Amino acid sequence: MSTDTTHAQTPNAAHASDAHGAAAHGSPKGSAVFETLIESLGDHHELNIFFGHFDILPIILIDNGLHVYPNVHSMEAAGAYTLHKGHPVRKADPEGASQPFDMSITNLVAYQFIAIALVLILFGLIRKRYVKTPTAAPTGLQNMLESLVLYVRDQIVRPNVGTEKRTERVMPLLIAFFFFILTLNLIGLLPGAHAATGALGVTMALALVSFLTVNYIAIKDAGIGSWFHHLLGGAPLYIAPIMVPIEIVSLFTKPFALMIRLFANMTAGHIVLLSLVGLIFFFESWVVTPVSVGFSLFIYFLELLVAFLQAYIFTMLTAVFIGLALGEHAAQDSHKDGHHDGHADSHDAIQDSISISNAH
Amino acid sequence: MDPVAFAWLGAGLGVGVTVFGVGTGIGRLAAAALEASSRQPENAADIRTTMIIGAALIEGVALLAGVICILLAVKSAG
Repeated sequence: MSTDTTHAQTPNAAHASDAHGAAAHGSPKGSAVFETLIESLGDHHELNIFFGHFDILPIILIDNGLHVYPNVHSMEAAGAYTLHKGHPVRKADPEGASQPFDMSITNLVAYQFIAIALVLILFGLIRKRYVKTPTAAPTGLQNMLESLVLYVRDQIVRPNVGTEKRTERVMPLLIAFFFFILTLNLIGLLPGAHAATGALGVTMALALVSFLTVNYIAIKDAGIGSWFHHLLGGAPLYIAPIMVPIEIVSLFTKPFALMIRLFANMTAGHIVLLSLVGLIFFFESWVVTPVSVGFSLFIYFLELLVAFLQAYIFTMLTAVFIGLALGEHAAQDSHKDGHHDGHADSHDAIQDSISISNAH
Repeated sequence: MDPVAFAWLGAGLGVGVTVFGVGTGIGRLAAAALEASSRQPENAADIRTTMIIGAALIEGVALLAGVICILLAVKSAG
């Protein structure tokens, strides 16, 4: 009997230890690469740019009052809090359930500030020229930004939102969306940096602004009655029990999809890039290096395309959703507006010819 | 097989199936758009815009699936 049990147990035990051994063998190298990868995609309390990690970001904690430290180092030195798994925690009990509420300016927040500053500076630089000589031909930086702004206005916003007046009204927001997202995406492509649009919180805030704008404009321009009517999806009243829940879900799916699309696109590119580079460390061989580097270069250029494309898509879809939420209103208005549009174009043409003759 | 292996298998297969579906979807979309714009080149700009919106919506669903697969892989690794 006793021999039987030992026999029965031995293979099991051997199997278990085998599996354990295999896991222990295969896992550290692979999972170390994987963990580094996931960690570098997250948020940090230090500014990562190019090859440096700069400990210059302030730590702001709410924990029975406000605690502000100029950087991580001074927080550690002060002694009350320490960094545990990337989060500031109480030094006395780092694993405790209730921790200080973290309001720090983290890496991704800093990128957003940088992006805001960059966009403001770029547009501030060209602003003066428009004020002084509005009809002169654009030069240099002005050329680049003007062509982008005109592209957003004429190709993205105007065909989708309906009237000229509404275009004028939503342009500031959509331009801001376009350039903010584009700048964040491009910052993410700098070596060592990470796209802030690759964090769910950032894209959630952007999608929330888009959602509120779409519904605000729909209610203001088409009226609250029309907004409720739109929940029917154009179907007769007796299908309402089916249509209304579907339309309500679709009301929230649109911004949700906006959020996920931007986040996943930016994160996916980074994961692919890091995995390709990670292959070198995974195989620990020189042979895969050229392949890895070649492929990452290819993906990098693809990412460059995606950076522009996602800014375009986000702006475009917001404009499309504004048009959709207005329903028949937008279509009617745009018909009425068709004549006016032609007028505006000829006016633009005259302006253009004036500026050309000025340049000569 | 232990559950973690199944999770990884699921994540890998999930990505494969997603890519298959999205590849088919966007491929058909591009084929239709190409055909339409070669029949009526004067509408090419409109067709391209509509195509990009469609592609973005298809891609959105794909990325949702991709995120789920990544979560599956990350959760089972950690």
